[in-house]
Amino acid sequence: MTLDHGAAARDAAADTDRHRSASQARVLVVEDDPSIAGLLGRELRGLGHTVDSVGFMEDALLATRANDYALIIVDLGLPDGDGLDLVREMRRRSIDAPVLMLTARRRVEDRVVGLSSGADDYLVKPFAVPEMRARVSALLRRPSRLRSARTAIANVVVDADALEVTVDGVSLALPRKQLQLLELLARRKNHMTPKRMIEEALYGFDDDVSANSIEAQVSKLRRALGAAGAKVALETRRGIGYRLVGLDVVAN
Amino acid sequence: MTRSPRPSAEELQALDADGSFRARLEADRSAIAQLSETGDLEQLQRMVHALAGAAGTFGYAEVGDMAIELDDRFIAGGSVTAVDLARLLGALEQALGKPGKSA
Repeated sequence: MTLDHGAAARDAAADTDRHRSASQARVLVVEDDPSIAGLLGRELRGLGHTVDSVGFMEDALLATRANDYALIIVDLGLPDGDGLDLVREMRRRSIDAPVLMLTARRRVEDRVVGLSSGADDYLVKPFAVPEMRARVSALLRRPSRLRSARTAIANVVVDADALEVTVDGVSLALPRKQLQLLELLARRKNHMTPKRMIEEALYGFDDDVSANSIEAQVSKLRRALGAAGAKVALETRRGIGYRLVGLDVVAN
Repeated sequence: MTRSPRPSAEELQALDADGSFRARLEADRSAIAQLSETGDLEQLQRMVHALAGAAGTFGYAEVGDMAIELDDRFIAGGSVTAVDLARLLGALEQALGKPGKSA
């Protein structure tokens, strides 16, 4: 089979443009082959995504505990276990990010087992890079299966898909970083969100983040919410992180 | 049988811009030659499996296809002979002697 790289590349480029305008995602690559992991990292960063790369199942589980990924690419043959077990474990932990399985196992029955274990798509190695890009873009366009795009706290509703915030039903325009910050804090409402997690959600590894960038964004968001009459408190725990709570929770 | 993709010369250049994959192939060639001598089939199977997944992705189509053929045979429990390994080493030699030729 010979692939038409030209046509695939053009399709992928169109997908990329659409995706780039929508959002840049955080992607976890779980692959022990350094050549393939390096290639995936370069390509995904080239599409504007933030990429974390690990080579072991155990590290993958730790990474998914610390970060909220929009997509996870999993190689099946990992040094410390089978990627299928990793996907099953992630699903058991309610990690609902789409999973693209990557494998050199080429039999149809391998693909069937992979998909029935909780993977969303399957890419057989060796792969053509334009096809990989297209599959990544397609998976990132899919709505999350379990997580609602809308999160409500007190009289504030954040719609991550529509990129809209309302307070008492009235739209509140926020700059993108503040919107991302509010969406993250609202999703983790009543829980402390470490500063590092916020940095990772708002900025890529290569972004230049000044010491007080997060504080500045929090301060602006707090003012905007207050001015709009939001019945929430954005609490600061110095040295730990931030927490968004409804004012009724604060009273209790 | 799964075949390796055939990227264009331009794409090939971009796939391994820093030459690290080519350096890996050099190392793999030496390691496979040594393993062929020692007869460590388990390690050999691991190397062939990794090569089957990676070589074609980086545009070394002939090496990739040869590795896939041997990998399939390993998985099916079939025998891989010294002649088979010599063919794989030959494909590696040719690919490394003439970069991009195998694509």
